[in-house]
Amino acid sequence: MKKIFITLTILLAFGFLSFGQVSDPLISKCAINAGASAKYLKDFRIQLGKATSQNELRYKANMSLWKNTKYRFTMCNAENSKGQLILTIKDEANKLILSSFDKKTGKIFSFVDFECQKSGIYQISYDFTNGQQGSGVGVVSMIK
Amino acid sequence: MKGRVFLILIIVFFGFSCRNSKSKTSEFVFPQSDSVPVSEAEKLSPEAIADISKNISSPVEIANLLQTLQVPFSQNYIAESIDANRQSTSFDKALKLGILGADLGYLNMYEKTGSSLDVLSSIRKIAEDIKVGQFFDFESIKRLSKNRSNLDSLLFISIDSYNKIDSYLRSNDRGQLSALMIIGVWIEGQYLATQVVSQFPDKRLSDRIGEQKIILNDLLLLISPYCKRDPEFISLCKDMQNIKDKYRDIRITYTQGDPVSVEKDGGLTIKQTETSVVTMSKEQLNGVIEITKNIRDRLISNN
Repeated sequence: MKKIFITLTILLAFGFLSFGQVSDPLISKCAINAGASAKYLKDFRIQLGKATSQNELRYKANMSLWKNTKYRFTMCNAENSKGQLILTIKDEANKLILSSFDKKTGKIFSFVDFECQKSGIYQISYDFTNGQQGSGVGVVSMIK
Repeated sequence: MKGRVFLILIIVFFGFSCRNSKSKTSEFVFPQSDSVPVSEAEKLSPEAIADISKNISSPVEIANLLQTLQVPFSQNYIAESIDANRQSTSFDKALKLGILGADLGYLNMYEKTGSSLDVLSSIRKIAEDIKVGQFFDFESIKRLSKNRSNLDSLLFISIDSYNKIDSYLRSNDRGQLSALMIIGVWIEGQYLATQVVSQFPDKRLSDRIGEQKIILNDLLLLISPYCKRDPEFISLCKDMQNIKDKYRDIRITYTQGDPVSVEKDGGLTIKQTETSVVTMSKEQLNGVIEITKNIRDRLISNN
Protein backbone atom coordinates (compact mmCIF):
# COMPACT_ATOMS: atom_id res chain seq x y z
CA MET A 1 0.00 0.00 0.00
CA LYS A 2 2.79 2.35 1.00
CA LYS A 3 4.64 1.50 -2.23
CA ILE A 4 1.56 2.29 -4.32
CA PHE A 5 1.14 5.60 -2.51
CA ILE A 6 4.78 6.57 -3.08
CA THR A 7 4.62 5.55 -6.76
CA LEU A 8 1.43 7.53 -7.27
CA THR A 9 2.92 10.58 -5.55
CA ILE A 10 6.03 10.43 -7.74
CA LEU A 11 3.98 9.97 -10.91
CA LEU A 12 1.66 12.84 -10.04
CA ALA A 13 4.53 15.10 -9.06
CA PHE A 14 6.36 14.30 -12.28
CA GLY A 15 3.21 14.86 -14.29
CA PHE A 16 2.73 18.28 -12.75
CA LEU A 17 6.40 19.13 -13.25
CA SER A 18 6.27 18.14 -16.90
CA PHE A 19 3.08 20.02 -17.65
CA GLY A 20 4.19 22.74 -15.24
CA GLN A 21 6.29 24.33 -17.99
CA VAL A 22 3.12 25.21 -19.79
CA SER A 23 2.19 28.85 -19.23
CA ASP A 24 -1.37 28.11 -18.11
CA PRO A 25 -1.44 25.81 -15.04
CA LEU A 26 -5.13 25.09 -15.61
CA ILE A 27 -4.24 23.37 -18.89
CA SER A 28 -1.69 21.17 -17.13
CA LYS A 29 -4.26 20.24 -14.50
CA CYS A 30 -6.86 19.52 -17.15
CA ALA A 31 -4.52 17.46 -19.32
CA ILE A 32 -3.62 15.36 -16.28
CA ASN A 33 -7.33 14.98 -15.46
CA ALA A 34 -7.84 13.46 -18.91
CA GLY A 35 -6.02 10.36 -17.66
CA ALA A 36 -2.71 8.63 -18.12
CA SER A 37 -3.73 6.84 -21.31
CA ALA A 38 -5.10 9.97 -22.98
CA LYS A 39 -3.00 11.53 -25.72
CA TYR A 40 -3.32 15.30 -25.93
CA LEU A 41 -4.61 16.80 -29.17
CA LYS A 42 -5.94 20.30 -28.58
CA ASP A 43 -7.08 22.72 -25.94
CA PHE A 44 -9.57 25.54 -25.89
CA ARG A 45 -9.21 28.42 -23.41
CA ILE A 46 -12.61 29.80 -22.53
CA GLN A 47 -13.22 33.09 -20.72
CA LEU A 48 -16.76 34.43 -20.71
CA GLY A 49 -18.66 37.14 -18.87
CA LYS A 50 -22.24 36.80 -17.73
CA ALA A 51 -24.58 36.10 -20.64
CA THR A 52 -27.44 38.44 -21.45
CA SER A 53 -29.50 35.56 -22.84
CA GLN A 54 -29.16 31.80 -22.54
CA ASN A 55 -30.12 30.52 -25.95
CA GLU A 56 -26.92 28.99 -27.25
CA LEU A 57 -23.53 28.09 -25.86
CA ARG A 58 -21.35 31.09 -26.61
CA TYR A 59 -17.79 29.86 -27.28
CA LYS A 60 -17.68 28.11 -30.64
CA ALA A 61 -14.92 26.44 -32.61
CA ASN A 62 -14.72 23.92 -35.42
CA MET A 63 -12.68 20.76 -35.26
CA SER A 64 -12.27 17.78 -37.56
CA LEU A 65 -13.04 14.46 -35.87
CA TRP A 66 -12.19 11.19 -37.55
CA LYS A 67 -13.94 7.85 -37.82
CA ASN A 68 -12.68 4.96 -35.67
CA THR A 69 -11.18 7.34 -33.15
CA LYS A 70 -12.20 7.62 -29.52
CA TYR A 71 -11.92 11.16 -28.22
CA ARG A 72 -12.07 12.39 -24.64
CA PHE A 73 -13.34 15.91 -24.01
CA THR A 74 -12.28 17.09 -20.54
CA MET A 75 -13.63 20.29 -18.98
CA CYS A 76 -11.89 22.16 -16.16
CA ASN A 77 -12.95 25.32 -14.34
CA ALA A 78 -10.77 28.06 -12.91
CA GLU A 79 -11.31 28.70 -9.21
CA ASN A 80 -12.98 32.07 -9.73
CA SER A 81 -15.62 30.71 -12.13
CA LYS A 82 -19.22 31.22 -11.08
CA GLY A 83 -20.57 28.56 -13.42
CA GLN A 84 -19.33 25.13 -14.48
CA LEU A 85 -17.91 24.61 -17.95
CA ILE A 86 -20.19 22.61 -20.23
CA LEU A 87 -19.80 21.34 -23.79
CA THR A 88 -21.95 20.44 -26.75
CA ILE A 89 -20.89 19.01 -30.09
CA LYS A 90 -22.94 19.38 -33.26
CA ASP A 91 -22.29 17.95 -36.70
CA GLU A 92 -22.28 19.89 -39.97
CA ALA A 93 -26.05 19.47 -40.26
CA ASN A 94 -26.34 21.18 -36.86
CA LYS A 95 -27.51 17.94 -35.25
CA LEU A 96 -26.66 17.62 -31.58
CA ILE A 97 -24.21 14.76 -31.12
CA LEU A 98 -23.39 15.11 -27.45
CA SER A 99 -23.77 17.32 -24.43
CA SER A 100 -21.86 17.17 -21.15
CA PHE A 101 -24.91 18.64 -19.43
CA ASP A 102 -28.10 16.65 -18.84
CA LYS A 103 -30.93 19.19 -18.87
CA LYS A 104 -33.42 16.75 -17.31
CA THR A 105 -31.35 15.77 -14.29
CA GLY A 106 -29.04 18.78 -14.12
CA LYS A 107 -26.06 16.41 -14.06
CA ILE A 108 -22.79 17.78 -15.39
CA PHE A 109 -20.03 15.48 -16.60
CA SER A 110 -16.45 16.68 -16.23
CA PHE A 111 -15.44 14.56 -19.21
CA VAL A 112 -17.22 12.90 -22.11
CA ASP A 113 -15.84 10.11 -24.30
CA PHE A 114 -16.93 10.15 -27.91
CA GLU A 115 -16.58 7.14 -30.21
CA CYS A 116 -16.55 8.84 -33.60
CA GLN A 117 -17.90 6.85 -36.55
CA LYS A 118 -18.45 9.69 -38.98
CA SER A 119 -15.48 11.74 -40.15
CA GLY A 120 -16.24 15.39 -40.57
CA ILE A 121 -15.97 18.90 -39.25
CA TYR A 122 -17.86 19.34 -36.01
CA GLN A 123 -18.87 22.43 -34.09
CA ILE A 124 -17.58 22.36 -30.53
CA SER A 125 -19.38 24.80 -28.19
CA TYR A 126 -18.58 25.69 -24.61
CA ASP A 127 -20.27 27.86 -22.01
CA PHE A 128 -20.73 28.06 -18.28
CA THR A 129 -23.89 26.75 -16.63
CA ASN A 130 -26.80 29.21 -16.69
CA GLY A 131 -24.71 31.59 -18.79
CA GLN A 132 -22.68 32.57 -15.78
CA GLN A 133 -19.30 34.26 -15.81
CA GLY A 134 -16.38 31.89 -15.86
CA SER A 135 -12.96 30.86 -16.99
CA GLY A 136 -11.95 27.36 -17.95
CA VAL A 137 -10.19 24.99 -20.28
CA GLY A 138 -11.46 22.26 -22.56
CA VAL A 139 -8.89 19.62 -23.51
CA VAL A 140 -9.38 17.18 -26.38
CA SER A 141 -7.41 13.93 -26.22
CA MET A 142 -7.42 10.56 -27.91
CA ILE A 143 -7.99 7.44 -25.84
CA LYS A 144 -7.85 3.73 -26.58
CA MET B 1 -58.40 8.56 -67.79
CA LYS B 2 -58.93 7.69 -64.13
CA GLY B 3 -56.27 5.01 -64.48
CA ARG B 4 -53.76 7.50 -65.94
CA VAL B 5 -54.32 10.01 -63.14
CA PHE B 6 -53.83 7.22 -60.63
CA LEU B 7 -50.59 6.17 -62.37
CA ILE B 8 -49.29 9.76 -62.38
CA LEU B 9 -50.14 10.08 -58.69
CA ILE B 10 -48.22 6.90 -57.94
CA ILE B 11 -45.20 8.15 -59.92
CA VAL B 12 -45.32 11.54 -58.20
CA PHE B 13 -45.67 9.87 -54.81
CA PHE B 14 -42.70 7.57 -55.38
CA GLY B 15 -40.74 10.44 -56.85
CA PHE B 16 -41.15 12.35 -53.60
CA SER B 17 -40.54 9.22 -51.53
CA CYS B 18 -37.19 8.69 -53.23
CA ARG B 19 -36.25 12.31 -52.63
CA ASN B 20 -37.13 11.96 -48.98
CA SER B 21 -35.11 8.80 -48.67
CA LYS B 22 -32.04 10.90 -49.42
CA SER B 23 -32.19 12.13 -45.87
CA LYS B 24 -31.15 8.64 -44.76
CA THR B 25 -27.91 8.85 -46.69
CA SER B 26 -26.13 11.94 -47.90
CA GLU B 27 -22.89 12.60 -49.72
CA PHE B 28 -19.98 14.96 -49.28
CA VAL B 29 -19.29 16.96 -52.42
CA PHE B 30 -16.73 19.62 -53.25
CA PRO B 31 -18.14 23.10 -53.83
CA GLN B 32 -19.11 23.45 -57.50
CA SER B 33 -16.24 25.54 -58.84
CA ASP B 34 -13.00 23.79 -59.64
CA SER B 35 -10.87 26.21 -57.72
CA VAL B 36 -11.50 28.43 -54.74
CA PRO B 37 -11.95 32.03 -55.91
CA VAL B 38 -9.36 34.34 -54.40
CA SER B 39 -12.07 36.81 -53.41
CA GLU B 40 -13.79 34.11 -51.34
CA ALA B 41 -10.59 33.25 -49.52
CA GLU B 42 -9.77 36.92 -48.93
CA LYS B 43 -13.12 37.39 -47.24
CA LEU B 44 -12.21 34.90 -44.53
CA SER B 45 -12.02 36.43 -41.09
CA PRO B 46 -8.96 35.80 -38.90
CA GLU B 47 -11.21 33.61 -36.72
CA ALA B 48 -12.26 31.54 -39.73
CA ILE B 49 -8.63 31.08 -40.74
CA ALA B 50 -7.75 30.07 -37.18
CA ASP B 51 -10.61 27.58 -37.31
CA ILE B 52 -9.36 26.10 -40.58
CA SER B 53 -5.88 25.68 -39.19
CA LYS B 54 -7.36 23.79 -36.23
CA ASN B 55 -9.38 21.57 -38.56
CA ILE B 56 -6.45 20.04 -40.31
CA SER B 57 -5.95 16.45 -39.31
CA SER B 58 -3.13 16.15 -36.82
CA PRO B 59 -0.25 13.87 -37.84
CA VAL B 60 -0.48 12.58 -34.27
CA GLU B 61 -3.93 11.18 -35.15
CA ILE B 62 -2.50 9.46 -38.23
CA ALA B 63 0.37 8.03 -36.15
CA ASN B 64 -2.16 6.90 -33.53
CA LEU B 65 -4.11 5.05 -36.22
CA LEU B 66 -0.90 3.40 -37.44
CA GLN B 67 -0.18 2.22 -33.92
CA THR B 68 -3.71 0.88 -33.55
CA LEU B 69 -3.15 -1.08 -36.76
CA GLN B 70 0.15 -2.32 -35.30
CA VAL B 71 2.13 -0.88 -38.19
CA PRO B 72 5.82 -0.97 -37.25
CA PHE B 73 7.81 2.26 -37.17
CA SER B 74 9.92 3.04 -40.20
CA GLN B 75 12.66 5.64 -40.41
CA ASN B 76 12.18 5.63 -44.20
CA TYR B 77 9.08 7.80 -43.88
CA ILE B 78 11.00 10.65 -42.25
CA ALA B 79 12.11 13.56 -44.44
CA GLU B 80 15.76 13.03 -43.57
CA SER B 81 17.02 14.77 -46.67
CA ILE B 82 15.92 18.16 -45.38
CA ASP B 83 19.02 20.17 -44.55
CA ALA B 84 18.02 23.04 -42.27
CA ASN B 85 21.10 25.02 -43.35
CA ARG B 86 20.19 24.93 -47.02
CA GLN B 87 16.71 26.46 -46.94
CA SER B 88 17.07 29.74 -48.77
CA THR B 89 13.62 31.33 -48.91
CA SER B 90 10.95 31.92 -46.27
CA PHE B 91 8.69 29.76 -48.44
CA ASP B 92 11.05 26.80 -48.13
CA LYS B 93 11.60 27.36 -44.42
CA ALA B 94 7.92 27.56 -43.48
CA LEU B 95 6.98 24.56 -45.59
CA LYS B 96 9.83 22.48 -44.13
CA LEU B 97 8.88 23.57 -40.63
CA GLY B 98 5.48 21.98 -41.24
CA ILE B 99 6.93 18.80 -42.78
CA LEU B 100 9.38 18.36 -39.89
CA GLY B 101 6.58 19.06 -37.38
CA ALA B 102 4.59 16.15 -38.78
CA ASP B 103 7.70 13.95 -38.59
CA LEU B 104 8.21 15.01 -34.98
CA GLY B 105 4.64 13.97 -34.16
CA TYR B 106 5.22 10.56 -35.78
CA LEU B 107 8.55 10.06 -33.95
CA ASN B 108 7.05 11.16 -30.63
CA MET B 109 4.14 8.76 -30.93
CA TYR B 110 6.54 5.88 -31.58
CA GLU B 111 8.87 7.18 -28.85
CA LYS B 112 11.86 7.30 -31.18
CA THR B 113 13.83 9.73 -29.10
CA GLY B 114 17.18 9.53 -30.87
CA SER B 115 15.75 10.47 -34.26
CA SER B 116 13.43 13.07 -32.79
CA LEU B 117 16.43 14.97 -31.42
CA ASP B 118 17.85 15.26 -34.95
CA VAL B 119 14.52 16.50 -36.27
CA LEU B 120 14.27 18.88 -33.31
CA SER B 121 17.57 20.53 -34.07
CA SER B 122 16.47 21.09 -37.69
CA ILE B 123 13.19 22.57 -36.46
CA ARG B 124 15.08 24.84 -34.09
CA LYS B 125 17.34 26.16 -36.85
CA ILE B 126 14.49 26.81 -39.29
CA ALA B 127 12.22 28.33 -36.61
CA GLU B 128 14.99 30.72 -35.58
CA ASP B 129 15.61 31.64 -39.22
CA ILE B 130 12.04 32.82 -39.64
CA LYS B 131 12.10 34.52 -36.22
CA VAL B 132 9.66 32.22 -34.43
CA GLY B 133 12.19 30.23 -32.41
CA GLN B 134 11.00 31.91 -29.20
CA PHE B 135 7.72 29.97 -29.38
CA PHE B 136 9.32 26.58 -29.58
CA ASP B 137 10.18 25.17 -26.18
CA PHE B 138 13.18 23.17 -27.41
CA GLU B 139 14.75 22.46 -24.06
CA SER B 140 11.56 21.00 -22.55
CA ILE B 141 10.83 18.96 -25.69
CA LYS B 142 14.40 17.68 -25.72
CA ARG B 143 14.24 16.73 -22.05
CA LEU B 144 10.84 15.07 -22.39
CA SER B 145 11.96 13.23 -25.53
CA LYS B 146 14.66 11.58 -23.44
CA ASN B 147 12.13 10.58 -20.81
CA ARG B 148 9.75 8.11 -22.39
CA SER B 149 7.20 8.17 -19.57
CA ASN B 150 5.92 11.63 -20.50
CA LEU B 151 4.43 11.13 -23.93
CA ASP B 152 1.36 13.24 -23.18
CA SER B 153 3.43 16.17 -21.94
CA LEU B 154 5.71 15.84 -24.94
CA LEU B 155 2.78 15.86 -27.35
CA PHE B 156 1.30 18.83 -25.55
CA ILE B 157 4.44 20.98 -25.61
CA SER B 158 5.22 20.08 -29.24
CA ILE B 159 1.68 20.78 -30.50
CA ASP B 160 1.37 23.89 -28.33
CA SER B 161 4.64 25.27 -29.73
CA TYR B 162 3.37 24.85 -33.29
CA ASN B 163 0.03 26.44 -32.38
CA LYS B 164 1.84 29.44 -30.91
CA ILE B 165 3.99 29.83 -34.04
CA ASP B 166 0.91 29.56 -36.24
CA SER B 167 -1.01 32.13 -34.23
CA TYR B 168 1.98 34.54 -34.10
CA LEU B 169 2.55 34.37 -37.85
CA ARG B 170 -1.11 35.02 -38.59
CA SER B 171 -1.35 37.98 -36.24
CA ASN B 172 1.85 39.53 -37.63
CA ASP B 173 0.87 39.75 -41.29
CA ARG B 174 2.82 36.63 -42.15
CA GLY B 175 -0.25 34.51 -42.83
CA GLN B 176 1.40 33.09 -45.95
CA LEU B 177 4.04 31.39 -43.76
CA SER B 178 1.36 30.02 -41.44
CA ALA B 179 -0.50 28.61 -44.47
CA LEU B 180 2.71 27.01 -45.74
CA MET B 181 3.45 25.45 -42.38
CA ILE B 182 -0.04 23.94 -42.19
CA ILE B 183 0.18 22.64 -45.77
CA GLY B 184 3.57 21.13 -44.91
CA VAL B 185 2.14 19.34 -41.89
CA TRP B 186 -0.75 18.01 -43.95
CA ILE B 187 1.34 16.84 -46.92
CA GLU B 188 3.75 14.97 -44.66
CA GLY B 189 0.89 13.35 -42.71
CA GLN B 190 -0.69 12.37 -46.01
CA TYR B 191 2.65 11.02 -47.25
CA LEU B 192 3.02 8.92 -44.11
CA ALA B 193 -0.49 7.47 -44.45
CA THR B 194 -0.18 6.77 -48.19
CA GLN B 195 3.25 5.17 -47.90
CA VAL B 196 2.07 2.92 -45.08
CA VAL B 197 -1.12 1.88 -46.89
CA SER B 198 0.87 0.85 -49.96
CA GLN B 199 2.94 -1.48 -47.78
CA PHE B 200 0.26 -2.53 -45.29
CA PRO B 201 -3.10 -2.33 -47.06
CA ASP B 202 -5.88 -1.70 -44.55
CA LYS B 203 -9.43 -0.46 -45.04
CA ARG B 204 -9.36 1.85 -42.01
CA LEU B 205 -6.22 3.54 -43.25
CA SER B 206 -7.36 3.85 -46.86
CA ASP B 207 -10.65 5.28 -45.56
CA ARG B 208 -8.73 7.90 -43.57
CA ILE B 209 -6.85 8.83 -46.74
CA GLY B 210 -10.11 9.08 -48.69
CA GLU B 211 -11.71 11.15 -45.92
CA GLN B 212 -9.09 13.85 -46.40
CA LYS B 213 -11.42 15.05 -49.16
CA ILE B 214 -13.42 16.66 -46.34
CA ILE B 215 -10.67 19.15 -45.48
CA LEU B 216 -9.02 19.61 -48.87
CA ASN B 217 -11.17 22.56 -49.78
CA ASP B 218 -10.27 24.25 -46.49
CA LEU B 219 -6.59 23.79 -47.29
CA LEU B 220 -7.11 25.40 -50.66
CA LEU B 221 -9.01 28.25 -49.03
CA LEU B 222 -6.09 28.81 -46.72
CA ILE B 223 -3.52 29.09 -49.50
CA SER B 224 -5.66 30.77 -52.18
CA PRO B 225 -4.93 34.40 -51.23
CA TYR B 226 -1.24 33.78 -51.97
CA CYS B 227 -1.59 31.73 -55.15
CA LYS B 228 -0.40 34.56 -57.41
CA ARG B 229 2.28 35.82 -55.06
CA ASP B 230 5.37 34.27 -56.68
CA PRO B 231 6.43 31.21 -58.71
CA GLU B 232 6.84 29.06 -55.57
CA PHE B 233 3.26 29.70 -54.47
CA ILE B 234 1.94 29.29 -58.02
CA SER B 235 3.57 25.87 -58.17
CA LEU B 236 2.31 24.79 -54.72
CA CYS B 237 -1.25 25.91 -55.50
CA LYS B 238 -1.10 23.88 -58.70
CA ASP B 239 0.08 20.86 -56.70
CA MET B 240 -2.78 21.22 -54.23
CA GLN B 241 -5.25 21.59 -57.07
CA ASN B 242 -3.86 18.42 -58.67
CA ILE B 243 -4.35 16.55 -55.39
CA LYS B 244 -7.91 17.83 -55.24
CA ASP B 245 -8.50 16.57 -58.79
CA LYS B 246 -7.42 13.08 -57.73
CA TYR B 247 -10.09 13.21 -55.01
CA ARG B 248 -12.88 14.43 -57.26
CA ASP B 249 -14.47 11.02 -57.89
CA ILE B 250 -13.79 9.51 -54.47
CA ARG B 251 -17.17 9.34 -52.75
CA ILE B 252 -17.95 9.93 -49.10
CA THR B 253 -21.50 9.07 -48.12
CA TYR B 254 -23.16 9.19 -44.73
CA THR B 255 -25.64 6.85 -43.13
CA GLN B 256 -27.95 8.31 -40.52
CA GLY B 257 -28.45 7.22 -36.93
CA ASP B 258 -28.82 8.61 -33.44
CA PRO B 259 -25.97 8.64 -30.94
CA VAL B 260 -26.17 6.20 -28.06
CA SER B 261 -25.07 7.38 -24.62
CA VAL B 262 -23.86 5.21 -21.75
CA GLU B 263 -23.06 6.39 -18.25
CA LYS B 264 -20.26 4.43 -16.64
CA ASP B 265 -18.09 5.06 -13.57
CA GLY B 266 -19.28 8.64 -13.33
CA GLY B 267 -18.34 9.39 -16.93
CA LEU B 268 -20.39 9.65 -20.09
CA THR B 269 -19.63 7.76 -23.28
CA ILE B 270 -21.31 8.64 -26.55
CA LYS B 271 -21.21 6.11 -29.33
CA GLN B 272 -22.04 7.45 -32.75
CA THR B 273 -24.21 5.18 -34.88
CA GLU B 274 -24.25 7.28 -38.04
CA THR B 275 -21.25 6.56 -40.18
CA SER B 276 -19.20 7.95 -43.02
CA VAL B 277 -18.51 5.52 -45.84
CA VAL B 278 -15.68 6.00 -48.32
CA THR B 279 -16.01 4.56 -51.80
CA MET B 280 -12.62 4.60 -53.46
CA SER B 281 -11.30 2.23 -56.11
CA LYS B 282 -7.79 0.80 -56.02
CA GLU B 283 -6.90 2.99 -59.00
CA GLN B 284 -8.14 6.09 -57.19
CA LEU B 285 -6.14 5.21 -54.10
CA ASN B 286 -3.06 4.54 -56.22
CA GLY B 287 -3.55 7.92 -57.89
CA VAL B 288 -3.56 9.65 -54.47
CA ILE B 289 -0.52 7.64 -53.31
CA GLU B 290 1.41 8.53 -56.45
CA ILE B 291 0.64 12.24 -56.54
CA THR B 292 1.34 12.63 -52.83
CA LYS B 293 4.73 10.95 -53.15
CA ASN B 294 5.69 12.97 -56.23
CA ILE B 295 4.79 16.30 -54.64
CA ARG B 296 6.26 15.54 -51.22
CA ASP B 297 9.53 14.16 -52.64
CA ARG B 298 9.90 17.22 -54.86
CA LEU B 299 9.23 19.55 -51.95
CA ILE B 300 11.81 17.98 -49.68
CA SER B 301 14.44 17.68 -52.38
CA ASN B 302 14.14 21.40 -53.10
CA ASN B 303 16.94 22.29 -50.72
